[in-house]
Amino acid sequence: MIHRMTSLRIGIDVGGTFTDAVLLDCLNVAAEQKVPTRSDALLETVLTALDALRLPRDAAIDQITVSTTLITNAILQKRLTPTELLLIPGYGMRLDALAWPVPYRALQGQLDFRGREIAAVETTEVQEEARRLSLINPCSSVAIVGKFSHRNNAQELGVEQILKKTAPQLRTTLGHRWGGANIYRRALTAYLNLACQDEFAAFADGLRQAVRQRGFTAPLQILKADGGVLPLEDIRAVDTVYSGPAASMLGALADSGEDMPDSYVVIDVGGTSTDMGLILDRVPMWSAKGAKIGGFSTQIRAMAVRSLAMGGDSVVQVEDGQVRIQPYRAGLPCCRGGPELTPTDAMCYLGIVAIGDQNKAAEGLARQCPVDQTPESLSALAQEILNVMSQKITDAVMDLEREWRDEPTYKIWQVLHPQQQGNFPIWLSGGPAPGLLRDLTRQSGRAVRSGTRSGLANAIGAALARPAFSRTLHLDTVVGRYRIAETGEQGVWQGSPRPHKEITRLMEEIMTRESERRGLAPDDWQKEVFDFFPVVDGYSAVGQVVRGSWHVPAGIMGRVNQ
Amino acid sequence: MKKTALMFFPAFDWSLGSTHPEREERLLYTQEQLFEEGVMDLPQIVQLNPIVAPLKAVCRTQAIFPSSEEQDLEAHRIAAGSALVMGDAWARQEIHNGFALVRPPGHHAGAVVWGNRGFCTLNNEAILINHLRSQYGYRKIAVVDTDVHHGDGTQNIFWHDPNVLFISLHQDGRTLYPGSGFVDELGGVNAWGQTLNIPMPPGTGDDGYLYMLEHWVLPKLQEFQPDVVINSAGQDNHYSDPLARMNVSARGYGQITELVRPDIAVLEGGYSIETALPYVNLAILLALAGEDYSQVQEPSNRRHTDVSLKDFKQYYQDLRAKQESQRVTWDKERVKHLLNQEWAHEDYSVYYDTEGFQETRQEYVRPCAYCGGTVVIMSKVRLHSDVCVLVRIPFLACETCRRTGLDVWQSLSERSQESHRYGSILLQNQADDDIRLWKRYEGVTKF
Repeated sequence: MIHRMTSLRIGIDVGGTFTDAVLLDCLNVAAEQKVPTRSDALLETVLTALDALRLPRDAAIDQITVSTTLITNAILQKRLTPTELLLIPGYGMRLDALAWPVPYRALQGQLDFRGREIAAVETTEVQEEARRLSLINPCSSVAIVGKFSHRNNAQELGVEQILKKTAPQLRTTLGHRWGGANIYRRALTAYLNLACQDEFAAFADGLRQAVRQRGFTAPLQILKADGGVLPLEDIRAVDTVYSGPAASMLGALADSGEDMPDSYVVIDVGGTSTDMGLILDRVPMWSAKGAKIGGFSTQIRAMAVRSLAMGGDSVVQVEDGQVRIQPYRAGLPCCRGGPELTPTDAMCYLGIVAIGDQNKAAEGLARQCPVDQTPESLSALAQEILNVMSQKITDAVMDLEREWRDEPTYKIWQVLHPQQQGNFPIWLSGGPAPGLLRDLTRQSGRAVRSGTRSGLANAIGAALARPAFSRTLHLDTVVGRYRIAETGEQGVWQGSPRPHKEITRLMEEIMTRESERRGLAPDDWQKEVFDFFPVVDGYSAVGQVVRGSWHVPAGIMGRVNQ
Repeated sequence: MKKTALMFFPAFDWSLGSTHPEREERLLYTQEQLFEEGVMDLPQIVQLNPIVAPLKAVCRTQAIFPSSEEQDLEAHRIAAGSALVMGDAWARQEIHNGFALVRPPGHHAGAVVWGNRGFCTLNNEAILINHLRSQYGYRKIAVVDTDVHHGDGTQNIFWHDPNVLFISLHQDGRTLYPGSGFVDELGGVNAWGQTLNIPMPPGTGDDGYLYMLEHWVLPKLQEFQPDVVINSAGQDNHYSDPLARMNVSARGYGQITELVRPDIAVLEGGYSIETALPYVNLAILLALAGEDYSQVQEPSNRRHTDVSLKDFKQYYQDLRAKQESQRVTWDKERVKHLLNQEWAHEDYSVYYDTEGFQETRQEYVRPCAYCGGTVVIMSKVRLHSDVCVLVRIPFLACETCRRTGLDVWQSLSERSQESHRYGSILLQNQADDDIRLWKRYEGVTKF
C-alpha cells in the first residue's frame, strides 16, 4: 500500500489493568508510558497516559489512535441507555426460539428473501406503538428491525416515519444498516449501538476537547474490533467492542521480527485477562460470525479472538494442595504491595522478572503454604503456579485451534498449506510475557517467542493500525435493487439484467469514494471473485443475483525497529 | 443438549445449465431464509463442513463405468462427502440428527452409473448408508424417500439387500418421471418385501400424505426396527412445485419430518426454488431441531384442491390389498459364464434422461436363504463398445456367497484378459470392505 508515512503517531491502549501510551517517530519508539487503568474513569485514564508522554504543547502530532474498553465495559456492566426494540418478523421461525437478552415487540408487515413486500405495515398499529412509547418517555430510544430489511429497507423507513410523525422526539435507529442476513443479530446490534451511543458520544466529545485543549490538531482515531481504524467522528459505538484484542493482534504483527514464521498463535497476557488469536500468512484471522458480547450476538465484524479470564494479577489460591488461578484480581500483586498472591509473585520470587519486592512475594507464597515454609517449598509452589497457568493457556490454545478450523479463512489456509496442520508456534506478548516464556515453551511443546517490548505491543499496534474497510455488494437485477452490507446503503439498480463490467464500475465507484474520504490510495484493493446466480422465471433467464466483496485489509504500517 | 447438524453445500458454481431446474440459484434463497431467521444461532444447531467423498466410499456402493476418471464427479462427490461427514458425526454421537442441504441430488442414481439421470450421478444416501455399515457396523438401515419422484436409484442399489428397508412415497409413476415405483415392486428374491413403494395420486395434500405415513410407513418402520433412519428429503411434493402436483405445504413437511423422525435427512429434488424451498427447508430443519414450525408459512396460495380424505382412505385400502396379493416371482437359470451355477435373472434397461442414452442390464443374484446373495450386473450402453460388470458381495454375506463372488470376479477378469470381452469389472466386496476394479489394459486397481 502506498501510504504517507507520517512522522509522529501516538498509540494508546486501554487494558484492564494498565493503560499504555507510545509515541512513534516513524517506526521508532520515541516515548512510552504506563499508567493504571481507572475503569470508572476511562477518559481521564486516556488523558493521564497521553500527558505522561510529556509532549510539548502544540507538538506536531500527526495522528492519535486509541483502543478502548469503554463500550465493552458498558455492555458487560449493563450501563446502557433504556432502549425499545420493535421487530417486523412476519412468518417464519418463532422469535422466542432464540435467546433475546432484551424484550421486544413485534409489528405487522413482511418481506420475502428478495425484499419483496408480502404484507404491509399497519399504520394504526405503529401509531399506537408511538403513543405507548412516548408515554414511557417522549424521547425514548427505539430500534426498528425488520426481517429481510437488509434486502429492502422500505418497511423500516415506513415504521420510522409513522413513529416520528406521531411522536417527533423519539430517537430511532434502523436494522438494515447492520450487516447481512440474520434478523436476530441485526436487531441486537442496532439495539446495542443505540443503547451505548450516549456513553460513547460523551467519551468522544471529552477526548476531542481535551486533546484540542492540549494544542494537538492531529486526527483522532479509534481502533475497531476488526483491526481497522476510523476517525472518531465516523465510528459507530459498538464497532469499538473488542478493540483491545484487535490491538494485541496488530501489536504482534508490529513487534515480531522478520524471522517470525508467517502463521502463528498470538497470546497476549495482561493483568486480568489473556487474549488469544491467530495470524495466518501474516494476516489476523477474522471470525465468520459477528462478535458475541454479554449475551448479545452481534453482526460486528471482529477478529477470531478469545479471552481467558486469567492474567498476571489474577488471584491464586491453594485448595487441598491444588493451585487454582481465579478469574478475578484483587488489586496489585503482593510483590508490589497488593493483598493476594498472583502469578506475578511467582515470577518475582523465582527471579524470572524484575518486578516488585521478592520478600513480599515470598510472604504471599508463604500464606498459601501454611505447613512447610522453607525456600524449597515456596519455590515449588511458585513453579507450580506457572505450570498451572501455562497448562491452562496451552489447553485453551488447543481448544481454539479446533474452533478455528471451522472458520472459512482457516479452511482456505489449510487448502494452501496442507503440509502445515495446526500446532502453530506461539508469539507471547503482554507485561507478564517474559515470566511465562520458559514454562509455556515446556508445557506446549511449541516454539514460543516474545518481543522485547511485550508490555507495549498493544499500544504500538494501535499506533500503527492501518485504516481498513470492506464493501460487500448484493445485487438483484430482477428486483432491481443493490445493497452494501457494511454501510446498509441501498439503491435502485438501473443497469443491465446481466451485468459484468458494470459491477466492476459500481464497486470502483463505491471503493474510491471511501478511499478518498480516508486519504487512502484509490486502487489498492483486494477483490474477491463474485458469485453470479442466473435468475430464472419460467424457463428463461431473466437476470442475476450478484454477490461479492472488495476489501482494504486490516494490518499495520510496518514493524517497529527493535 | 441434543444437537441438530446442518450441512450446507449449495454448489453455487455447479449447474446442469443456467436455466435448468438443477442450477446455482436453487439453494440461494434457502440460504437467505435460514440465515435471516437466525437459525444458525439456535443453541442446538451445529454447522458441519463438507469433504470430497473418497472414491472407495463411492465405489463401495456404485459402479462408475467405464471408470470414475471418465465421468465428471466433482460436485457430486462433495454432495456425497457432505452426507458422509454428517454420518460420521451421528455415529460418533456428536449430533442427535441432521439435515444435509446439498446439491446435486442423488436418488435416481443406481447401482451402475454411466452418466447423469434425473439430475443425479452419485447416490448420496446410499453412499452414506454403506459407509455407516462398513465403518461403524450398523446392520439395519431404513430409507424413507419422501421426494415426489420414485427413488428408483436407491431402490435399485438396495433391491437385493434384506438389511435395508427402502420405502418410497411418491406421485404415481403413471403421471410422473421416472415412471416406476409401483406397489408390486417389492424387492429381489432374497429381499422380498424390503422394498415398499407407495404411489399416490396427484392432489394428495398434507392430510393424505400424513395418513399414509401413519397407517403404512410408521408401522413398517416399527416392525423393521432399524438402527438408522435416513430420509431422502425431496421437496417437490410442495403445492407450488413446477414438475409435480402433490399439494403438500411447508408445514406438512414439518409434520412429515416429525413423524418419520430421521436420524439424517438428505436433500433430494424440489425445484420450486422461490415459493417452496426456503419455507420447506426451514420447516424440516425446525422439526429436526425440535422447534415450533407452525409459524412457517409460504406467501403463495395453493393451486389445486386436495383429494378428499375419504377418497384417499379408499385408495389406501385398495393399494394395500393389491400389495398384499403380490407373490415373489423370479426366473432362475443356470448360467454358464457365471461358474455354471443357478442364478435368479432379470433383464432391464435404464434411461439416462440428462444425456439421452439407454443402458441395458442383465442382473443376476444368487438365491440364498442366509444373506442378500452375490449380485452380478452385466451392463452395456450403445455409445461404448464394452460390456462392464459389477460383482457385489453383500454386507453380512454367507461364506458361500462370498466365495462365489470372489470366484466370479476372478474368472470373469481372467477370461476377459484373453477375450477382451469386458471393459471394466468392479468387485464390490462389501463383506470384507474390499473394493477393486479390473480394467482392460490396466489391470487391477484397489480402492
